[in-house]
Amino acid sequence: MAPSKEKARRLDLPTIIFGPVEVHRLVRELETLEDFLQQAKIREPGKQPPLPKTTRNLEVIASNNNLNLLHVTELTKLKQFLQSVSQKAPVVHMGLASDPSAVFTAKIVAWLRTNVHPYTLLQLGLQPTIAAGCVLRTANKTFDFSLRNRFSQQRPMLLKAIDRAMPADAAAARPQPAASAEVAA
Amino acid sequence: MTIWWLVLILGFILSGGAAFIYIAVHLKRSGTVTKSVEDFEAEAEKDVEHIFNEEFREELRNRGRLHFEKILGENAMFLQQDLRLTTSQLNDYMKDQISKDLKDAFSNYESAISDAKQLAVESIEKTKATIDEQRQILTAQLEKEVTDEKARRIQRFDENMAGVVNHYVLAAIGDQIDLNDQLEYILGELEANKKEIIQDINNGA
Repeated sequence: MAPSKEKARRLDLPTIIFGPVEVHRLVRELETLEDFLQQAKIREPGKQPPLPKTTRNLEVIASNNNLNLLHVTELTKLKQFLQSVSQKAPVVHMGLASDPSAVFTAKIVAWLRTNVHPYTLLQLGLQPTIAAGCVLRTANKTFDFSLRNRFSQQRPMLLKAIDRAMPADAAAARPQPAASAEVAA
Repeated sequence: MTIWWLVLILGFILSGGAAFIYIAVHLKRSGTVTKSVEDFEAEAEKDVEHIFNEEFREELRNRGRLHFEKILGENAMFLQQDLRLTTSQLNDYMKDQISKDLKDAFSNYESAISDAKQLAVESIEKTKATIDEQRQILTAQLEKEVTDEKARRIQRFDENMAGVVNHYVLAAIGDQIDLNDQLEYILGELEANKKEIIQDINNGA
C-alpha cells in the first residue's frame, strides 16, 4: 500500500481543478468510467454501450499526468489519488466581492499550491459587503484582506482627516479618540 | 315745621266746622223746647223767625259757605305750597340719600375691583415667574439633550465611520472594481501572511 500512496502523491493536480466539488465530480466520473469498463469486459464484443462522455477537467488531469483512463489500473490510480486529495488535502475558503474569473481563480490556486500546499483546495464564496479584497478562512483562522477591514484599521487616520476638515466647534464636540477606542473595545 | 303748620291749619278748619255744626244743631234744637215755655218759645220763635227768617238763614248759610270755601281755598293753597315744598325737600333728600348710597356702593365696588385687580396682578406675576423658571429649566434641559445627542451621534459616526466609508465606496464604485485589478493586492496580502497561513494549515491538518 505504501508505494501506491507515494505514486498517488506524485500526480499533478491542475489548477483548473481547484475545489472539493470538482474533485468529487471527477471521482464520480471515474466511477462511471470504471463501471463502463467492467461492463465492456462482460458484454459480447460489438454490443458494448457507448463510451460515456468525459469532462474537460478529467481530460486535463489525465493528459497532465500521462494517464490512459481506458486502462483500469491507471484509472484506479487516479481515482485513489483524487479520493486521497478529497480526504486529506487542506481546504481554504476565500470570500470575494464578486464572482471571480477562471484566470483569477487559477492564479490564486497556483499561488496556494506553490507556496502553501501542492494539493490545496479552494472554496470560493461571495461577500459583496467587503467592497474589494478578500477574506481568507483556513481551518482555524480568518485572514481579512478586505477593503472594509482596511478602512476599520485606518480609522484614526480618517478621523484626523475629518478633524482637519471640520470647524473648531465641531471638533471640540467630538469625543477623544482614546474614549472612542475604549467604547469600540 | 311744615307738618306742624299743616296740622294746625287742619285743626283750625276742623274746629270751625265743628262750631258751625254745633250752632246749627243747637239752633234746630232750640225750636223744639218744651210746652211749658211754649209761649215764650212761640214768641221767641216768632221773633226768631222774624229775625232769622229763611232769607236771613240763607244769607248766613251763603256767608258761611263762602267763608268756609275761602278758608278751604286758602288752606288748600297753603297745603299745596307745603306739599310742593315737602316734595321738593323730599326730592332733595332722596337725591342726597341715593347719591350717598350710590357713592358708598361705588366706593365699595371700586375697593373690591381694586382688590381683585391686585390679586389678579399678583397671580399673573406669580404665573409669569413660574413660567420663566420652567422655561429656563426646559431650555437648560433642551441644551443638555441637544449637546448629548450631538456627542452621541458624533461618537456613533466615529464608531461606524469605517462602515460608512466602506458602504459609500461600495455603492459608488463597487461594481467597477475588477477582481483582476485586485489580484496583485490579494497576492501581496497572501504573501505577507504566508507564514501564518502555512502554520495554520499544518496545525489544522
